Amino acid sequence: MTEDLFDRALELVMDGGQTLLANGGEVFRVQQTMEIMAASLGVQDFHVYVLTNGIFASAHLPGGESVTLVRHVPTVSIHLGRVEAVNELSRELAAGKLGVVEAEQKLAAARALPRVTPRREVLACIAGAAGFAYLFGGTLADVPVAAVAGLLEALVCLHFGRHSINRMFTDIVAAFCCTVWAIAVQAVVPAVSANAAIIGALMVLTPGVALTMGVRDILNGDYLSGSIRLLDALLIAGSIAGGVVLGWIVARGLGVA
Amino acid sequence: MPVWTHYFAHFVVTVIATIAFGITFQVPRRHYLAAGITGAVGWMVYIFGVELLGMSPAIATLVATLPLTGCARFFSITHKAPVTIFLLPGIFPLVPGAGIYYTAYYFLQGEQELFASKGGETFKVALALALGIALICSLPLPGGHEKIKRPSP
Repeated sequence: MTEDLFDRALELVMDGGQTLLANGGEVFRVQQTMEIMAASLGVQDFHVYVLTNGIFASAHLPGGESVTLVRHVPTVSIHLGRVEAVNELSRELAAGKLGVVEAEQKLAAARALPRVTPRREVLACIAGAAGFAYLFGGTLADVPVAAVAGLLEALVCLHFGRHSINRMFTDIVAAFCCTVWAIAVQAVVPAVSANAAIIGALMVLTPGVALTMGVRDILNGDYLSGSIRLLDALLIAGSIAGGVVLGWIVARGLGVA
Repeated sequence: MPVWTHYFAHFVVTVIATIAFGITFQVPRRHYLAAGITGAVGWMVYIFGVELLGMSPAIATLVATLPLTGCARFFSITHKAPVTIFLLPGIFPLVPGAGIYYTAYYFLQGEQELFASKGGETFKVALALALGIALICSLPLPGGHEKIKRPSP
């Protein structure tokens, strides 16, 4: 393999791994996929170490020189469609169906997969909040309250995300908003139970992803990455609880609860 | 409301709510229904366990996670997609959001006993969830999707 092609192959493997990690792939999947891609592309002596927010890899040039590459993946926003696409790409590479150039194109296409429009994302939040309010024992009166709480939450997350405000503060404010809103409605319409509505809306914020991925990372022996994610789950849960407490304190201060 | 409509409504609502989570995680459209069913399977087992069999939330969560994770793995094989696509949205109904809320609520009310018991229960549910995923994900499946063959260099 010429040096130029080798560089491109290595770059491709790194980009593939980075795409997986940044879009919510598990650590072991990133590692495994990168190894498979490297082996398929004929990269010699490829070694890779993946953490929740970084990739470290080294390989040997055909001439015997060694190269090391590091990628920092500071923010993860879940896009499972991209994870699937990169997975598919690695499978096709392993089957020998693709060369470097086609694989580069496929990867570019995978990275360009669009997110759903913000409006749909907001709608999904509303549906989730309303649905869970019902599942957690809400009456039909509580469901619309939860839906509006979900809307508030989605808007907070959307706007804060745009200004890249950190996740903890976003969660606190979102939980705070939906708590205050539900209590306010309860004060005006006694038929509404604030609890069910708040819980429904909070389900959207709960750290299900961090918890699940943390467990899976630990199962696969990636204790460090797993602990980072579990700590993340704990912090998110704490932020939500903090937002709720603040909400109740404010509501009490205003004399509505 | 007769019992079956109650559970039927729960099933439908869980499918919709799980798909809603799937949308926020950008799950490809062809997996929506499978993800929704994965979530609904978990929730139905949970609610049966709690309401009909009188299980504690933690035990019910553990019991529910088993078919849920199994379901996710099944779909990952039939759809040839990573198991995460079904597992992440599907697990959401079982995450103890209500527990987090009540723990915070009783903390504020100053009801120490309820606070401690809710906090403990929330923690237990989270552990049960983790244990359930761990149990099923560790089982080797015959002909599973993880058998990606490495080409000889």
